Amino acid sequence: MDFDSELDASGLNCPLPILRAKKAIAALESGQTLKIIATDPGSVKDFEAFCKQTGNELVSSGEEEGKFVFAIKKAA
Amino acid sequence: MSHRLSGPERRESILSAAQGLFASKGLHGVSVDEIARAVNVSPAILYRHFDSKQALYNAVLEKFSCQRQSYVDTIVNHGTRFEDALAGMTQVYIDNIAENPDILRIELQSLLEGNPATLAFFQNRWKSFTDYIEFGLNEHLPYDVPNREKIILSAGLMFQGMVREALIQKCLQPQDRLVDLSLYELSHELVTLFLRSIGINKTQLSRKATISG
Repeated sequence: MDFDSELDASGLNCPLPILRAKKAIAALESGQTLKIIATDPGSVKDFEAFCKQTGNELVSSGEEEGKFVFAIKKAA
Repeated sequence: MSHRLSGPERRESILSAAQGLFASKGLHGVSVDEIARAVNVSPAILYRHFDSKQALYNAVLEKFSCQRQSYVDTIVNHGTRFEDALAGMTQVYIDNIAENPDILRIELQSLLEGNPATLAFFQNRWKSFTDYIEFGLNEHLPYDVPNREKIILSAGLMFQGMVREALIQKCLQPQDRLVDLSLYELSHELVTLFLRSIGINKTQLSRKATISG
């Protein structure tokens, strides 16, 4: 999958990954995708809630090499 | 009457009694027999729901860890300004403890008992603040400030001590001299003082961000 931007939030506790993602998404154009890497297990639910509330699309959410990886597409 | 409880209800009643006992006596100060007596069941029934006292204690902690959603709300709704998000997070934390002061009691008990897993659990709750403050100060503080790294580390500790002490004084040992100051007003003033001390004048902070309606 191609990403337009990438954010490494490894080692950070909620709500920092969310805050940084919010800032990173603000800098994107509609339809562009941000990849986020996080280590906080709570981030899985956090990003689901974040996307539900902001209308951005959680394109994928999974685990890679012990880290949580998300792809969020900015809403129109 | 107690024998009529369903399995999940029984589990919940055991958890609730255990929470109160752990809060007043700590993990080591309470026996499984005592918890079982408090809910009027035999230890054998208690063990059907929880393998051990430690498992029961862990389940109590797990119940405490469901405030995350609220931090997401804070970030989505309060904007991304450092001071507004910090005030919003503080309110979430304070609401959580005010609703359930046993969390704070168990935290203080665990500090004395020194159980590494429990200490890590509570440190992790504070880490949301210390991470956030360290990250925010890294962005805000000019690079030529003397002792920059030490200031950033100390600020997180200062905030944690300040908020925890406010919670102790308002939720656990109400003080006469603070009687005219609600927990929320106290929190608002402390966050303002904290921000001023790190060079952010928070005159623009909306009261909505700190004071719940």
